[in-house]
Amino acid sequence: MAHRKARSGNAFLLVSLLPAVLILGGFVLLFFWGFYQSLTDMRFGRTRVDFEGLGNYTRLFGRGRFWDSVSATAIYAFSAVACEAILGLAIAKLFNTRALLARWFRPTILLPLVLPPLSVALMWTTMMNPETGVLNYFLSFIGISNFSWTSKSETAMFAVVFIDVWTFTPFFALIIFAGLRGIAPEIIEGARMSGAKAWGIFWRIELPMVLPYILLASLFRLIDSLNQFDIIFGTTQGGPGNATDVLSVSAYFTAFQNLYFGRGAAIMIVNWLIVLISAIVLVKLWQFTRKRVI
Amino acid sequence: MQSRGLASAMLNALVLLVVMALAFPIIWIVMNSFKEAADINAYPPVFLFDPTLENYKVLFDLADAEATNYGTLKIEFFKPVISSVIISIGAVLLSVIAGVPAGYALARYEFRGKEDLAFFILSFRFAPVLLVIIPMFQFFQAVGLYDSYLGMIWVYQIVTLPMIIWLSRSYVEDIPLEMEEAAAICGAKRPQIMLQVVLPLLRPGLVGASLLVFLLAWHNFALGLILTAKNTPVTVALLKLLNPGVSFYPVVSAGLVVSMIVPILLIMLGQRHLERGLTFGALK
Repeated sequence: MAHRKARSGNAFLLVSLLPAVLILGGFVLLFFWGFYQSLTDMRFGRTRVDFEGLGNYTRLFGRGRFWDSVSATAIYAFSAVACEAILGLAIAKLFNTRALLARWFRPTILLPLVLPPLSVALMWTTMMNPETGVLNYFLSFIGISNFSWTSKSETAMFAVVFIDVWTFTPFFALIIFAGLRGIAPEIIEGARMSGAKAWGIFWRIELPMVLPYILLASLFRLIDSLNQFDIIFGTTQGGPGNATDVLSVSAYFTAFQNLYFGRGAAIMIVNWLIVLISAIVLVKLWQFTRKRVI
Repeated sequence: MQSRGLASAMLNALVLLVVMALAFPIIWIVMNSFKEAADINAYPPVFLFDPTLENYKVLFDLADAEATNYGTLKIEFFKPVISSVIISIGAVLLSVIAGVPAGYALARYEFRGKEDLAFFILSFRFAPVLLVIIPMFQFFQAVGLYDSYLGMIWVYQIVTLPMIIWLSRSYVEDIPLEMEEAAAICGAKRPQIMLQVVLPLLRPGLVGASLLVFLLAWHNFALGLILTAKNTPVTVALLKLLNPGVSFYPVVSAGLVVSMIVPILLIMLGQRHLERGLTFGALK
């Protein structure tokens, strides 16, 4: 009897997992197909495909433009995540105070996160117009005139990172806010009783305790920023020149404009490896800080 | 006491500053969408103006040809909105049907390789979507799924399905196991328990998860850019509005507002669920 029950349980398990596993499994097959393509000279519209091993990769590694893309990807992702972590911490602290408006306006933190990133990118593009944009109008009050934003290669990277920071700082704020709320009030109260100042409490208690939260948020955001396509494609499309030509945008143009599918796939494989290594490092860091706190 | 009042005033002022920084761009784009072209391109920027619906009329092709300041330019924005709704709702439905049972199984069953499977599902959050698109593009061309709703609904699962599985697992774990055990003792079968005990308890969470996944589908841009031509989602149609080369900010602003209204309405419905969902269940 018990045996039969276990078997019907197994059937139920199989039926509930199978559809999801089949759908996701299909994507994994496509992923491996993509990896295979990166080892070929496949071009769109040409039937002949030759296997050429690591040819795409060695050719990429020999081109300066490819390394520019690697460094653009890293600069974009790491500077965006660093700014977001610091600003997010500040905003979480601010909204965790007893200020009346903080309680009222907390839902507005969600606002940038629910908008399509491409819409956000286009929204800022209209505001960043060097001649008529409202941002330069505001900047003119503090003596900065005609800031070039996305129109010059010197400032384009700053402009796209700025958009990423505006969009995703709330993500950090949300997670860190939850971390701050999770600290037992007795701990803070006890520290205050024994004479600790606000700064001391922040550095010695709050920051170490929310550090795992910060790292968790950094993990999610770093992966997304290293893969970021919408914001950059919507504003600069990798330009001016190749100032913001991150790997994902570069892969898109290689594959779908120049129609070098094999080489485009190779660029994406490199991007994926960068994502994977960064994620592993952050997960290790996260596990380390979590162990220390608990 | 006075210094405390001052500190509180400063904190409130800081909060207001943050709120303005978050809300101003959206307020500004809404204002722009009701301005005439001359007002949008004016410098210094115009804060007071006579509102007009012209941009929306042009956007949805409601204005008579040549009756507007933009001449006879033909814009098709209504269809992308419909396409986005169809694809997003379809993607949510398929994800719920395939994903909720899987989330339940992951929450309630012990089996070999369970955590590996859970990690495999989570790893889609880190998947390089563009790498999958290149082979997907050829596959879609070959089997005729290119530019079809069905194909788009399927490919959106790469974004929506892992999220639904992960969230429904976390919601099922919140349901006390005793409820199910009690039903089992009364002789209910598994499917019966699932339909009559688990599902009603799961409903609020499921609504929230579906809202969030709908948002993710609505946000998507890259998949539609590459895998559709006529049935483009709203995000791709937006970028096309910029292409005419002329300074087209007024109509783009109206399009942006349309693409943003849906998500903003949705957060009003399910703010609490969104916080949990946006952080992949990390916050409860």
